[in-house]
Amino acid sequence: MNLPFGWLQFLRKPGTHPAGTTKPSRGKFPLWSWFWYLLGASYFVLPLYATFAFSLQMKRGVLSFEAYTSAFADPAFLQSFGYSIMLAIFTIIVSIILVVPTAYWIRLKLPEARRPVELITLLPFVVPAIILVFGLIRIYSSPITLPFTAQVLLGSLTDSRYGTIILIVGGYCVLGLPYMYRSVDTGMRTVDVRTLTEAAQSLGANWFTIMTQIVLPNVRAALLSGSLLTFAIVIGEVVLASYLAVPAFGPYLFLLGQHRAYEPAALAFISFLLTWAAMGIIQLVTGGQEQGGGVGAH
Amino acid sequence: MTYLALSNITKEFSGITAVRDFNLSVEKGEFVSFLGPSGCGKTTTLRMIAGFEVPTSGKVTINGADITNKAPNQRNVGMVFQAYALFPNMTVGQNIGYGLRIRRESKDAIKQRVNEMLALIHLEKKGNSFPYQLSGGQQQRVALARALANRPQVLLLDEPLSALDAKIRVSLRAEIRAIQRKLGITAIYVTHDQEEALSISDRIVVMYDGKIEQVGTPFEIYNFPQTAFVANFVGTLNTTAAEVVDPKNRLLRIDGVQLESAEALDGKQKGDKVTIAIRPERFNFIAQERKANVIDCLIDNITFLGSVVRIQLLVGSNRFYMDTFNNPFLELPKIGDKAQISCSREAVLVLKD
Repeated sequence: MNLPFGWLQFLRKPGTHPAGTTKPSRGKFPLWSWFWYLLGASYFVLPLYATFAFSLQMKRGVLSFEAYTSAFADPAFLQSFGYSIMLAIFTIIVSIILVVPTAYWIRLKLPEARRPVELITLLPFVVPAIILVFGLIRIYSSPITLPFTAQVLLGSLTDSRYGTIILIVGGYCVLGLPYMYRSVDTGMRTVDVRTLTEAAQSLGANWFTIMTQIVLPNVRAALLSGSLLTFAIVIGEVVLASYLAVPAFGPYLFLLGQHRAYEPAALAFISFLLTWAAMGIIQLVTGGQEQGGGVGAH
Repeated sequence: MTYLALSNITKEFSGITAVRDFNLSVEKGEFVSFLGPSGCGKTTTLRMIAGFEVPTSGKVTINGADITNKAPNQRNVGMVFQAYALFPNMTVGQNIGYGLRIRRESKDAIKQRVNEMLALIHLEKKGNSFPYQLSGGQQQRVALARALANRPQVLLLDEPLSALDAKIRVSLRAEIRAIQRKLGITAIYVTHDQEEALSISDRIVVMYDGKIEQVGTPFEIYNFPQTAFVANFVGTLNTTAAEVVDPKNRLLRIDGVQLESAEALDGKQKGDKVTIAIRPERFNFIAQERKANVIDCLIDNITFLGSVVRIQLLVGSNRFYMDTFNNPFLELPKIGDKAQISCSREAVLVLKD
């Protein structure tokens, strides 16, 4: 990589200095590297700091956690947060049940289906959530009958609480699909799940044993990664929850922002911390698996 | 008596024939290698024995029992993979004992067998290590122990040494062979490395384009290749077109040089074209007067290879190689010199069409 400007040299990968140039001396402070790093970091950190600082100013002239106390004291907060956690758990379970066997079967028996399936999993990036929710409401708000008969196959899902939960969990599964599928698929590729399966088969294992003792334990970091990303999406999601009229955390946060100033800032900051904690856990777990994972030579 | 038999095996993938009409009988305790270039069908054949592929037609039997359509987990066939395929979530001991756990053997029996296997592969102290804590060679030894722990009917090895460096490859192949001999297990070994196949096998099956080219002992395969492919694939060989001069007396001619072969030229007529092959080490510089198989040549190049010196010769329009042991006290000709070389009648091989 020949970079035109000296100050961009820090972008060069370690050990890739072109022939004829000398390595920069070890003692030299990488000023420009730090400048760009801090500039980039400030783009993310400053708004977060501003939100945090604002959330502490509920009492005039005093820095306090009053906004946090007030937000936590609201029973609607815990209710909506608990509801969203429940939806997230259902979504994660359904996603795992759907995605793991699918990704596994594609790796094992249908490699030609990988591209079309990958394309399908990317659709949530292309089709906005508003379209998804209107589609869901349009199809599932009235009973589905057998064609040309009055025989009801499925009643209206939007009429009941449980029906709505099924609908929104289905919608969340779709929204989380890109993250869950890619995490699981990458995890399976990393450990070469196909060869591991064949090794287990040759030792007498059946499909159930292979899935529970070989596949799942070896893609657990990928599963956790996909699950936490799905969790983060569900906790902050507004569109589906609003239009399906479920008392989730996203709409609560949105409504709170309409008539309160400091509590939404406090809750937004907590949401950030939760997401970062999730990312930290992913790093912690996948870091460990990277060391132990993989089938091939080291 | 035949222990493993592959009868008329053919395998097609979407209309492409990967293996065609494959027939092989393997004795109990025999070590047979499938040797050939990439895409010749050797791994596909191995996978059909393992049960990972089902033959399009043909039959696989082990000890007389037809296993053609049996699931891989019902065959009791051990397999060692190129990529080791150790379970990363299990320790070495758990990996080795996995098959026994699947069979629901008692804890004591599993422990005893795992210890036996660890001793066999000289990794007694690594039972509690995880695969990633082992070197490539150690991992492959564990994979071998895991495959053997179940006391399989047949051991299959799919290029098990390809991912290892040269030195470990040589030591590990000797170890694999020693373990196979000690246990008396029937083994099928897939490799594209001719040296590996020649050094380790009782018999070699040379494959090309989904077909068997030749089956024989390493000695037969190297010294008496039957087809041009085997001749070219196994070792270095001088091959050239020759004209039949006198079929009865087995006389041939290349570029005006008359050669005598020890092989019968059955069915050949005077003037027919055949392909002949001569190993580089079968040529000698003429020390005393000989009457047959004397070839005038020009020294084109000399390459020092350590224990061997390879000399490139021009014989008319043909380029031949001659190998001679390195002897510092023997004077070799120089590049551009004219020389006379010869070979025995037995060295002139006539390849099948």
